[in-house]
Amino acid sequence: MNAENTPEVRTLSYAEAIREAMDIALAEDERVVLMGEDIGVYGGAFQVTGDLVEKYGETRVMDTPISELGGAGVAVGAALTGLRPIFEFQFSDFATLAMEQIVNQAAKLRYMLGGAVSVPVVMRFPAGSGTGAAAQHSQSLEAWLGHVPGLKVVQPSTPEDAKGLLLAALDDPDPVMIFEHKLLYKMQGPVPEGRYHTPIGKAAIRRVGSDLSIVATSIMAQKAIAAADELGKSGVEAEVIDLRTVRPMDRETVLASVRKTGRLLCVYEGVKTLGVGAEVSAMVAESDAFDFLDAPIVRLGGADAPIPYNPELEKAVVPQVPDIVEAAAALAQGRT
Amino acid sequence: MPTEVIMPKVDMDMASGTIMAWHAEAGQMVDAGDPLFDIETDKAAMEVEAPASGILHHLAPEGTKIAIGEPVAWLYAEGEEVGAPPSAAPAAEEVPAAPAPKEEAAPEPAHAAAIPAAEGLRATPRARGLAREGGIDLAAVAGTGPRGRIQAGDVAALLKASAAPAQGGALSITRAKGGTGTPVILLHGFASDAASWAPLEPALRHRPLIRIDLPGHGGSPTLPIPDFAALAALIRRTFTELDLARAHLVGHSLGGALALALADTRPRNIESLTLIAPAGLGPEIDGAALTGITRATRLESLAPWLRRLVHDETIVTDGYARAVMTARADPGLRAAQAGMAEALFPDGVQAFDLRAALARLQAPTRILWGRRDRIIPWRHALEAKGAVALHLFENIGHLPQIEAPEEIGKLLAAHL
Repeated sequence: MNAENTPEVRTLSYAEAIREAMDIALAEDERVVLMGEDIGVYGGAFQVTGDLVEKYGETRVMDTPISELGGAGVAVGAALTGLRPIFEFQFSDFATLAMEQIVNQAAKLRYMLGGAVSVPVVMRFPAGSGTGAAAQHSQSLEAWLGHVPGLKVVQPSTPEDAKGLLLAALDDPDPVMIFEHKLLYKMQGPVPEGRYHTPIGKAAIRRVGSDLSIVATSIMAQKAIAAADELGKSGVEAEVIDLRTVRPMDRETVLASVRKTGRLLCVYEGVKTLGVGAEVSAMVAESDAFDFLDAPIVRLGGADAPIPYNPELEKAVVPQVPDIVEAAAALAQGRT
Repeated sequence: MPTEVIMPKVDMDMASGTIMAWHAEAGQMVDAGDPLFDIETDKAAMEVEAPASGILHHLAPEGTKIAIGEPVAWLYAEGEEVGAPPSAAPAAEEVPAAPAPKEEAAPEPAHAAAIPAAEGLRATPRARGLAREGGIDLAAVAGTGPRGRIQAGDVAALLKASAAPAQGGALSITRAKGGTGTPVILLHGFASDAASWAPLEPALRHRPLIRIDLPGHGGSPTLPIPDFAALAALIRRTFTELDLARAHLVGHSLGGALALALADTRPRNIESLTLIAPAGLGPEIDGAALTGITRATRLESLAPWLRRLVHDETIVTDGYARAVMTARADPGLRAAQAGMAEALFPDGVQAFDLRAALARLQAPTRILWGRRDRIIPWRHALEAKGAVALHLFENIGHLPQIEAPEEIGKLLAAHL
């Protein structure tokens, strides 16, 4: 954040904060271009780009054909040749269609060409369940991309971070994948005016506590805060860490918290098996913080199942606030 | 109805024991309290006494491993008919390596109790760390977590409980009956206990005898002892609580150092001081023996170190060594003593120096030392100056009061 003059802070939605970040970038840096399906006149599948096309024209805000592989390829090529493209997927699920460009090109080219080039592309992925969009439009695939060396993967959980991480991603020389939770787009929160960075690779301690550490990502960080407030009423003080970046992961913040509390609960919406929480757990278990553990590590993650269409089932397959309250209370009280 | 002889539980975390040797044969009459058989557990070897009188039958073979609570033999009354072993299960049933898998996963309460012990202690990393720091053996901690898991709070509670009495009345104090005049306080040495004064006591009976068990020794609780000063302060508090106007102090080895420290800080209350092979007068000490004794979990590893304590090794009989091992059967006690050894004698060195206190002494003082002491060099006695009487004994090791109780007793009785 700019230290010289304190920027004014307004309340914006998560989607507005992202749009503001793109607006600032488009205005300040002519290398910045937006690409994606229906991001122009239509304003984006979730209305995030909004009316930016009117302000910057179709050469800066480009609708791409209905081919994620083609669009992502254009974005990667543009980044290679000097632009700063932001490529929007309509749904993060469609990353599957663009894997060649993301995994084999964007993530690898700097390495393959001996550092002669970099790929400063930013990709935005509307992710997660809760919108009734069923199994092919509701997944949380951040762990897939987090598994790829060469990519940075972030998951903002507040409007302020959604803006700050996008601006930080644009200034990063390497590809940055931003997973935006669809249910957060309408979330309101304070957002500073102007340009600032939320550092990539740095977690945020959202709530200080002494009884257990809850390490959560994306919307689960918000649910964890709600759960922690509920737990506070019964005297259980949970520390909530919003991971914000899953790759590279903020090891020090997590380990310091676990050393303090001795108990770790990981909460993430992606499928529990082989997910982000598995990495957090292993990181703790392999570290000196292991010696401070006073209970087995607990993970709450998505069920090993596709996201159902039925709204009740859709809620049931991902962690909800009462699930977090129950798991955290059991952990803090030595019942697990 | 015959009486069942069972495999006893002698360790907190013992699941089974192995019959090493029977002291009686099948068909032999034994009396209640007779040594009946020797067992060996993961941590200790010990002798088990007959629970009742009777004729011994259905002995589990030597070398058999038997779960605790299972019968190892039966005692029959005279004339009682001896048939098959009364229990349905064979008396010498082997401990199953693992419960046989069941087709239906019905819970089995009978096994549930035994499984945690068989798998080893359940404890969280944090609890283990706390126990290490606090010098607590996890086997002595009751786990309150799921499946009996020991959590940090369980260790902390025990640490707190054992630390609390340190404020007062913590140490075990025993008194001999009879005696008049100024009482004699007996302070035993490291890894010993108040019972070690027994051979010397007949010579001192004319005085009231007050024996103090050091923390983590004999009947005293385990207390955190970070250094010699803390231990000396504890003895000082204990002495204050005894509320004696005057007392004779007799201390052996570490107890000698503590007696010296006490005399230094309570000079008006001390009538006389008798130091037997005292610690604190020089850096040398046999660290290997300290480690060896505190680590020993069985007779075979303990006896060689016990023999080093004395000059005439024949006085360390198997019976004596077994008695010492039995007194040390509690793993919590051994762990506490190991922690204390590490604090007081780090790297096998006496980390405290009481030579200045020796020079300041006002009470009549005698130092007794065996010239064959292999634990602390007798030449440390030469630090004594002026009025301190020095008695050196030929062919005596580190335990004069046990090796030559009559000679030592006569000497002490003349002065106390």
